[in-house]
Amino acid sequence: MRLSKTSLRIALLGIALLLVLGMSSAAAQDRTIVNVYSAGDTNITDWYQNQIIPAFEAAYPEYQVQFTNSRAAGDEPIIERAIAALTTGDDPLVEVMDVDPRNFPAAVEAGLWYMPTVEEVPNLANLSAAAQVTDLSPSYRGSQVLIAYNSELVAPEDVPTTFNELILWIQNNPGQFIYCRPDRGGSGANFVRRALYHVSGNDPALWQGEFNQQLVDTYYPLALDLLAYLDPFMYDEGAYPAGNNPVLELFASGEVSMISAWSDQAIQGINRGFLPETTQLVQFTDLPMPGGYTQLSIPRNAGNLPGALAFVNFMLSVEGQTSVVSEIGGFPAIEWGLLPAEVQERFNDVITESVPLWTGGDYNPALTEGWYNTVATDIDPNS
Amino acid sequence: MAAQPPARSRTDWRQPLLAYALIAPPIILVFALLLFPALQSFVRTLVDVPGSTGGISFARYQSFFENQISVNNLVFTIQMTVLSTIGLFIVCFPLALYLRFSNSRIAGWVQSIALFPLFVPGIMLSYALIRFLRPRGMLETFLNLFGAADGYETPYLKPLGIIIGLIWEGIPFTLLILTAGLRQVDNSLIESARDVGANTLQIFWRILLPLTARSALIAFCLNFIGNFASYTVPYLLGPAAPQMMGIFMQRTFQEFQRPQEAETQAVITFLMCLIVGLLYVYAVTRQRADQR
Repeated sequence: MRLSKTSLRIALLGIALLLVLGMSSAAAQDRTIVNVYSAGDTNITDWYQNQIIPAFEAAYPEYQVQFTNSRAAGDEPIIERAIAALTTGDDPLVEVMDVDPRNFPAAVEAGLWYMPTVEEVPNLANLSAAAQVTDLSPSYRGSQVLIAYNSELVAPEDVPTTFNELILWIQNNPGQFIYCRPDRGGSGANFVRRALYHVSGNDPALWQGEFNQQLVDTYYPLALDLLAYLDPFMYDEGAYPAGNNPVLELFASGEVSMISAWSDQAIQGINRGFLPETTQLVQFTDLPMPGGYTQLSIPRNAGNLPGALAFVNFMLSVEGQTSVVSEIGGFPAIEWGLLPAEVQERFNDVITESVPLWTGGDYNPALTEGWYNTVATDIDPNS
Repeated sequence: MAAQPPARSRTDWRQPLLAYALIAPPIILVFALLLFPALQSFVRTLVDVPGSTGGISFARYQSFFENQISVNNLVFTIQMTVLSTIGLFIVCFPLALYLRFSNSRIAGWVQSIALFPLFVPGIMLSYALIRFLRPRGMLETFLNLFGAADGYETPYLKPLGIIIGLIWEGIPFTLLILTAGLRQVDNSLIESARDVGANTLQIFWRILLPLTARSALIAFCLNFIGNFASYTVPYLLGPAAPQMMGIFMQRTFQEFQRPQEAETQAVITFLMCLIVGLLYVYAVTRQRADQR
């Protein structure tokens, strides 16, 4: 009884204090609020809160960002609220969302997303061609699957720069390469897709547009046969780990000397010392491995549209984009050439002009299933 | 529903009604959330068959058993379940005997350590085991100290990895049931057997084993069902193929987008577990009957 009374008092005091503080800080400023939502992983939301937002508020003192981590509840309710506000004319209380606008068909249909013009967001002019993946919102960071290798174990002249060279390298170095199960991590899925591009003439455009069963019938068996052929040369004769991180761990322990990995996870792993210092990243020169871009989406009825535009402009500035590369290991959405020279130099081997985007959709299930049924089954169940 | 209570006085009539009212929510919940959907699924696998003109058809089961991969996965699941359950008994029976007959301080420590996995979530356990078992992991490093690592082949991403994980996960629970069963054996029974000249082995075979058979059966059933349906451990520690039914079902449903096939797999899994479940019910009801 006594305990609960005490804790009640403490709670009331706390609330009172918060109210007082809140009012005083509200009174002390005439800055307008910019509501930013992100449902990203911890590395992304931490980066927003500790790096991007303080830097933005310093560069644009007239705005104050109210950041909401929507990972638990998801972005759906906020977008629904914004769509509803579109008809009622209310303020949806959201200015910027860290989402791919195409993932929300209802919002696209309602015409919710607002694509700023270059006049409104000057830095949009710097957007690289590869980053222009949708007309609904500007991209602000990319990530791509690439090859990570340990330079202590792989001689510089042996490093594969094309998919063909990688195939040869895997055969010549049995047990030294691995990728993860395609349904368990994008680093594995995009490696399998790269094999598919390889057997279909390195032409990602072939897979754009409407689903075409004929392509599946023609090229899937070729790609899967290639991967099945490589299976005995993989780590432990084809022991595919169940995710991006388990692959990085095998690499970190030195058990394999080359893997397929997400650029951001690999760069962050190197920066934090989780991956060996001798880790090097390389991208194929014939056709890079697939990846994707993430957008900053603005609802057209945002109450503080100028604030939203300023935020996007800051994110696409050299300062914002350098932070994307060095803090979260992402790829810039603007041309690499605009970034500081030392950043460019550090990532020289992974800089690509193009990031093939896998269409996904109906092409995915058959590829995963085919992989499990023809590539993975080579493992002896009694081993 | 049980038979109507015979007409008695008013208060007598109320009491069982209250009891029924108290047990009604869990029973309704089990029916609504478990038995009814399971039955629905079972009926659907027989009636809702693509290309069939109505009536009952076993085509969905036929295609399951004609597919080498699904059969492999089912056989693999049974193998893993049986082997891990046997392994559990090999580990837990001696431990339970030790804990039953030792009153030393060390026994208390052993028990606390053995029960520890009960408080470790499966995903943490799996990652810990990956670190421990993987090549150049803790185990290999340790073996290396004694120059014994030459023959070491990591069980990580192999069937043995699943068995080790499932055994580790199942130890506390099995141990609790077995020690409880052994504690029910009266000390005087063992002492009198000793008095008439029985040796330790005879005591074990003739007294302890028969008297704990039922708790062993209960432990077997619950472990079998739990291991059969396990997901996290085989997913993180096991190979990409063959896979256990839990992972196979999830993949068929979500990745391959074939809900009907996943349903067939689920019903087959359910039926396998049902057989063992009935064994469990038999063991428990007989125990109740004996106690009366």
